[in-house]
Amino acid sequence: MAEKILLVDDETDFLEVMSERMSARGMEVTTAESALEALDQVEKGGFDAIVLDLMMPGMDGLETLKAIKRKRPELQVILLSGHATLEKGVEAMKLGAMDFVEKPADIDALTEKIHQARAEKMVLVEKQMETKLKSIINARGW
Amino acid sequence: MTITTELTGWTGLQFFGRTTASVSHDLKNALAIIKENAGLLNDYLLMAEKGTPFKPERLKIVADRIDQQTRRADTLIKFLNRFGHSIDEPLATVDLNEAVSLLAALTQREVAMKQATLQLSMGESPMTVKTAPFWLLTFLGHCMTFSLKALGPDKILRLQVEKVKEGARILFSPLSGLQGAEKGGFPGDAEIALLNSLNAACHIDPDAAMLIVNLSNR
Repeated sequence: MAEKILLVDDETDFLEVMSERMSARGMEVTTAESALEALDQVEKGGFDAIVLDLMMPGMDGLETLKAIKRKRPELQVILLSGHATLEKGVEAMKLGAMDFVEKPADIDALTEKIHQARAEKMVLVEKQMETKLKSIINARGW
Repeated sequence: MTITTELTGWTGLQFFGRTTASVSHDLKNALAIIKENAGLLNDYLLMAEKGTPFKPERLKIVADRIDQQTRRADTLIKFLNRFGHSIDEPLATVDLNEAVSLLAALTQREVAMKQATLQLSMGESPMTVKTAPFWLLTFLGHCMTFSLKALGPDKILRLQVEKVKEGARILFSPLSGLQGAEKGGFPGDAEIALLNSLNAACHIDPDAAMLIVNLSNR
């Protein structure tokens, strides 16, 4: 089954070419040009990973990351930045980003990270289901 | 060296750093798009080698994108170069219409990040003053940052260049959010130091909702 990716960047030309390249590699890609659009898409659900630009007009990448993690904590977010400093990377990881990559990113390396993101999401979803089942069993006294 | 010259120097350095970082960010974006489109051409070649057909018109689209982004990068570098050269002469005859156009180009990312729209209204050419080109840009850059914080809900910022008896003036309007921003103290120490260097003046007209910069020959 193809990975479902949400690609978020305010540069339309970047979204178009990345979307085509990722689709050619078997991924199902949805694009969003702003944080608000991205959050609407996240609400609809079904994504394995989000590739998110750090510097966007309005709500920036880190604020968007926080908002995504509040809605869907299991979603894996890979941040893209034109200026990847150690400080920003640490802050991003503390906020729950899976990875922090400098633009221009190597497509094969990014694809590999997306595969990892999907695997990590599946582990988290399984854990969530296990916790839910345990609480049902405990509640019913089985 | 006095405190004023130190402050002016430091303010100028900060503006230089901030501006080059901002423009280089946009340059990196243009290069990233060019790189990915070059990668896409490689993807098409691989597809062709494997016998998977692709539409030749896709090549035209990729070529157009690369061309557009190359022109974008070239324009950014042209403006960055002009900005770099603004420090060449401590005193020069500055065309204010060109200075405001350069300011607009250098601050386009800052404007975009505020989700604002910039409108330029140029004065009749030539509109010149003898002043310090780099410090003028630095001061106008500070005015831009202040004005972007003081915009109304429609987020439109208009820069107007006008000739006046004593020289020229540049207006930043409409600053509908001035009520709160005025309390923030503009011009601050850094801006006052710059104004002294430029032999310029600025004041805020809250009724007209504008910031007015008056320039005369140094």
